[in-house]
Amino acid sequence: MTAQAAATVEFAGVSKWFSGVVAVSEVTVSIGPGVTALLGPNGAGKSTMLRLLCGLTSPSRGSVRIKGRDPRGDPDVFRDIGLVPQQEAVIERLTGRQFVTMAAELSEVPDAVSAAARNIQLVDLEPGDPRPLKAYSKGMRQRIKVAAALVHEPELIVLDEPLEGLDPRQRLRMIELFGRLGDEGRTVVVSSHVLDEVERFGSRVIVLGQGRLLAEGDFREIRDLMDDRPHRLRVGTDQPRHVAAGLLAAGAVVGARVDATSVLVDTDDVRAFRHSVAAIAKDANARLLEVVPLDDDLDSVFRYLLARRT
Amino acid sequence: MNTIFRLVVRTQLTRGRAVALGALGTLAVILAIAARAGADADVNRSMHDIIDGLGLAVLAPVTSLVLASAALGDLAEDRTLVYVWLRPLARWKMALGALAASLAVSLPFVLVPLIAAVLIGGTGGDLLVATIAGAVVAVTGYTALFLGLGLRVKRALVWGLGYVVIWEGAVARTARGAARISVQVYARSLLAAIADYAPPRQAASVGASIIVPIVVVIVAYVVTVRWLQRAEVA
Repeated sequence: MTAQAAATVEFAGVSKWFSGVVAVSEVTVSIGPGVTALLGPNGAGKSTMLRLLCGLTSPSRGSVRIKGRDPRGDPDVFRDIGLVPQQEAVIERLTGRQFVTMAAELSEVPDAVSAAARNIQLVDLEPGDPRPLKAYSKGMRQRIKVAAALVHEPELIVLDEPLEGLDPRQRLRMIELFGRLGDEGRTVVVSSHVLDEVERFGSRVIVLGQGRLLAEGDFREIRDLMDDRPHRLRVGTDQPRHVAAGLLAAGAVVGARVDATSVLVDTDDVRAFRHSVAAIAKDANARLLEVVPLDDDLDSVFRYLLARRT
Repeated sequence: MNTIFRLVVRTQLTRGRAVALGALGTLAVILAIAARAGADADVNRSMHDIIDGLGLAVLAPVTSLVLASAALGDLAEDRTLVYVWLRPLARWKMALGALAASLAVSLPFVLVPLIAAVLIGGTGGDLLVATIAGAVVAVTGYTALFLGLGLRVKRALVWGLGYVVIWEGAVARTARGAARISVQVYARSLLAAIADYAPPRQAASVGASIIVPIVVVIVAYVVTVRWLQRAEVA
């Protein structure tokens, strides 16, 4: 079976703009079974891409197909899709059980009440909880949304920032659950703007920035790509000129700028730099006060990938 | 469809809406009591005016607007429509469930106080039948119109009130062409014809007062289904 034939989701040249503002631009990508993380900073176009994927909005150009079908054309496609939307909003007057049972009934699940109870337990909530959803915490709402998304056992599970509002233990449980669903052969698409979170999915990654596809592949490849980019760091020291000279002479940095208490350096190989900086400072009889990465946040990684792409 | 019906009934009828609409209906009952108690007044005329001027011109459109625009509009507004929309349910069934739920809630809020008012007035069976017929026509027509409005526009209440006050309350009462596309004119015409009162200005025939609202309901329903199919869901 080819990768294309195995794909559950196919984006072909998809663009989406709202009142002249481009949210997604010329994205062509296929997503198959297993966990795929959609990574990008806030405003990168992740939610729009997930809305396109689920048929919640039409592409301005290009096409989206779920198992060969247009999600905007036939509500029957939704038998195969379970979505956890990003928004916290739920139907507040319903109890958790009513909310998930409603989802099951609308998807024509046999014995909807039992299916709802099973899925509520799956996300560590209590099916008999009599409180309406407006009394639920953010984390509980997030989990009840997951239960509603899974209740009809969809083949494609779409989760938009699903770990928001969850405590560390719940995050771990959810990550395990998503991994298990992926291992079962379902297609799980998870969006996140947190790099470490995506790393824990241990998955294939699609990186979006400014609405464009910046990179896709195995997470480790993307991580290596991110580590290989030029880094900027601040080295705090009492002898900035001597340390700067030593670093340049050793070839540990490609540029250095000195001020009264620190050296601002650029390096292509941050790991080699970290190994050598202490010895160079010692040789220069300088005290090393701090080494602070200035561009290790995700936004700068995306800026780098974006610049590299253009 | 049954699930949508139950959901919409549950979400659209908030306590605030129930109290406000209940109070509006109570006003008709109070006016009927006052009309009955007024020794010099023409009770028949007064009762017709209450049903026509308050029941069909205010209570029916306002009740239908408040409830029907909320049926799908509340879900769209608070971004929970996605939980319903993203299910393998034909859009015509979704719209029909919401329409049926809105009617099921609106009709009692309109019919119960108006029937009570007529019974209190003691003006006979014709006015009772006419009231029921006029109210059913008005509520059904307005509900179908405002169901889609709630889905399509923000602040549907404001737009709907504007339509009721400006178009139905003013323009359609004076301009003959405009009266042909006014739910209120058909409901009031039916009321007058069955109860044997003088027809309102720009009155329609009994046949038109039945057929045109049915056409309005069908067209509004089809438009709502199309909007649901093409909705950009948040």
